[in-house]
Order: sequence, then C-alpha cells, then structure tokens
Amino acid sequence: MQKLLSILFLFVSFQALAGDDPKLLVRELNKKFNQISDYKADLFMEFNIPGVKMKNLKGKVVFKKPNKFKIKAKGIFFLPKQNPMQNMSEMLIDTNSYTSIISGYEIVEGKNCAIVNIIPLKAQDELILGKFWIDIKNPLVYKSQITTKNNGTIETKSIYGSNLKYALPDKIIVKVEINKVKVPKMMSVDLNKKSKPKTGIESKETGSIQLNFSNYTINAHLKDAEFVD
Amino acid sequence: MKEFIAILKNEIIKTIKRPRSFIGFGIIAFICLMLQSAFYHDGKEILSFVTGQLENVFNVEGKVLNGNLICFIVLQTLIVQMPLLVALVTGDLVSGETANGTIRFLLTRPASRTKIVLAKWIAGLFYTLLLLIVLGFFALFVSHWIFGDGDLMALNSEGLTIISADDITWRWGYAFLIAFLSLSVVASLANMLSCIMDNSITPIVTVMAIIIVFTIIGMFDLPSFDIIKPFLFTTHMISWKSLFEDPIPFHDIWFSIAVLIVHIVLFISISIFYFNRKDINS
Repeated sequence: MQKLLSILFLFVSFQALAGDDPKLLVRELNKKFNQISDYKADLFMEFNIPGVKMKNLKGKVVFKKPNKFKIKAKGIFFLPKQNPMQNMSEMLIDTNSYTSIISGYEIVEGKNCAIVNIIPLKAQDELILGKFWIDIKNPLVYKSQITTKNNGTIETKSIYGSNLKYALPDKIIVKVEINKVKVPKMMSVDLNKKSKPKTGIESKETGSIQLNFSNYTINAHLKDAEFVD
Repeated sequence: MKEFIAILKNEIIKTIKRPRSFIGFGIIAFICLMLQSAFYHDGKEILSFVTGQLENVFNVEGKVLNGNLICFIVLQTLIVQMPLLVALVTGDLVSGETANGTIRFLLTRPASRTKIVLAKWIAGLFYTLLLLIVLGFFALFVSHWIFGDGDLMALNSEGLTIISADDITWRWGYAFLIAFLSLSVVASLANMLSCIMDNSITPIVTVMAIIIVFTIIGMFDLPSFDIIKPFLFTTHMISWKSLFEDPIPFHDIWFSIAVLIVHIVLFISISIFYFNRKDINS
C-alpha cells in the first residue's frame, strides 16, 4: 500500500512539476521528436486563401533528420513560409538557445495546456517569439503561434490521432494574416468587370491551409532520393 | 449549291491571297514570339507583381510559369487587338470590289446577290478561323513547347484561380470556340459596313472606331455606362475568360454566346438586305 502511495505521489509530483516547469515539458516533448529519424505520409491539403480559388490537393510528405523535409504534390500549391511540421521540432530541440516561460494555462481540444513562451537568446535569430500550447499530461503541442522577423505571425492548431507517441499530428491547420490577393485590371484584362468599391483602409484577412496526414510510415530508413524532385 | 461552292472557293482564295491577310498572321506570330521571349527572360519578375502579394507569407510551390499561363496571357492580350486584324481584311471584302469596279463582273454571274454576300461573309469567317488557328498554334503549342505544361494560375480581377493541368484542355477548346464567335461578330459587322459603304478604307476604320469606343465604355465603371454595357458586343467578347473561373458561370457564358449570335444574325441580315437593294454605280 505504501509502495502504491509512493508511486502515486511521485506521479502527481511529476505532473505538478511538469505543469510548472516549461523546460521539463519541452524536454518530454523533445523525447517524442527524438524517436523519429524519418517519416513518410500521405497528405491532403485544403486551401482557403483570400483572393485565391483552388482545389484541394493530394500529395506526400517526407522527412529525414536532421532537417530534410519535402511536400511532394502535382501542380501549384501554397505552403506557409514557416513550415509548421519542421519548425516546431527544430525550434524546440535546442533548449540552450532560448528562454522558456509559462505565461498561463488554457484548455485546447479538451486538454489542459500550458502556454509556453519561447524567446531566443540570440538577437540575430529569425524567431522573435514562439508560443506553444503544450498539454501538461501528455506533452504535445496543440496550438502554436510563431512570430518571425521576416514572415510575420502564423498560428497553427494540431489534431492528433494514432501517432501521439511520436508527436506527429493527423491534421494541422495553419492560419495566416494576409491581404486579399488582387490582380491589377490591366494584367487581368477584365475590362468589363465592375471594380468593387474600396472600403477605406484595407484590413488583412485570415487565410488557412489545412494539412491532413494519413498512412504514416515512421523510421523506415528513407533514402535521400525521396527528397529529389 | 455547286455554284455557291464555286463562288465561296473563289472568295476564300481571293481573301487568303491578299497581302494584307498575311499581315494578320505575321502580327500574331510576332506578338506571340515577342511575349514568349519576354516571359522567358523576365517572366518571374513580371509574375512577381501578382505572386509577390502571396510570397510574403507563402512559398509558391510548383511551376507557375508554364505554357498554359503564357497562352492565357497571350490570348487576353491579343483578344483586344485581334478584332482590328479581322476588320483589316473583312472590312473591304465587298466595298473593295465596289471601289475597284470588279463587283460588276461578280454580279454578272448567275448567282444571286444573297449568295455572293454569304460567300464573302463565309470567306471572312474562314480567314478569322485561320487567324485563330495561327494564334492557337503560337500561343498554346509553342508556349507549351518552350515553357512546358502545368497548372494554370488564371488572373482575373477577383484574384487568382488555380486550374489543374488535367482539367484544362477542354477549357482551351471552348475558349477558342467562344473567341471565334466573338471575332465572327467583328467579321460580320465589317462585312455589313462593307456592303453599305463604297470605299475600302471607311468600313475598316469604322469597325476599328466602334471597337475602340465600345472597349473604352467597357473600361469605365460609370453608372450611366452600366446600362448600355450588356448590349455592347465587346462586353461579351471576353466571355471566354469565364471558362477559367471556379465555379464556371455557365449562365453568363450562355448569355454572352446568345448575344454574340444575335449580333451575327443581325449584321448578316442587314448585309443581305442592303446588298440586294444596292445600286452598283461604279
């Protein structure tokens, strides 16, 4: 009985500690990332970009450590400048390159998440601020908000399925703030189309790209040829 | 019928053999090659006017600069100029002969005046078709040969529409058909004016003036112009572009086709009516 109580106490203490210590949370998360040396998955992309009409697209995603990542699909498509799949693990893996603090707690997808803020130590880093909503119980990033110098802020939401232990999501929704794409009338030669009245200062609109992953093949020793077009 | 075919054959040969007919082919080939060369060297820079808005946030993956995009740009550029080339040849099919006096010889043949006008009109349409075939060859096939195949990033005032390469061939087919119908309106108008007027230059200049005025009216977003715009044939001449929208506004396209056909029927009817009552004095 005493043994059981001790184990329970240790477990509760770890949970409490992990919940308060961002480094511990990130370390637990990194353990999951570190289990992966490569992966391959089917991808289905859904686009909702203001001013761009396009059909959903099927493709494949391949990754190999340390930083080989490729999305293969036929045709024209758009990907966020900050690749959420790659950036998240790359950003978090070197715990000595940033300071992390927990700025609060929030329920995301029914999980009690700590909001871990990552601030790089070097001023020349591209990253300005990374905010990660990490589940306290089973450290996984459910939401992130990454602000970089050149590419603004992108927000992601991850939904996990059967690959929880590798921290590989089944779905990532990337949201970006963007001005609606406009084609000059002289380039579109829509001479007879009526221009829409301008509504003063043009505000940015939210665009989103939904990446749906399926049929993951993890640690299958992918060859470099997989990353060649 | 045999007689009509003989006249038609004769008219087609006369139309094609004229030096000015080759000006049209030459101009189309020149413009296509010039645009292709410009896009080959500076295409990415030119496109950055459009894709630059996206590239702040997204990486644009895939081959944007491809044969389909070049064909789309060439077609939308040339569709404004093509009517002028059509008018250049079809505008004096009848009036040219009236001015030269050769119309008298033509009318001595047993064929009715209606048949002669129809033969000239069809010869004009044949020339228009040839122009479009030349355009199709250079804009579509040569562009594909130079730039390769790929998804089309169609540019319209609402933004961009990405059309899969697998879903595009039929759109080109119908786009060229609508373009042919649009240019047939111009050929019919030129033929009508050619029947009414007695010198070869005036109908050509009149057609050009009408197209320029109508296009200018179409360009301005003025409420007073909005009332007349739907009745101008130039409004419907670029309806081929609607085939590259998603979803395709079929209702608008059918309406435009109907308007264009009504114009053609009206112009050819007036041509026949006028030519049958015309005094040939020269």
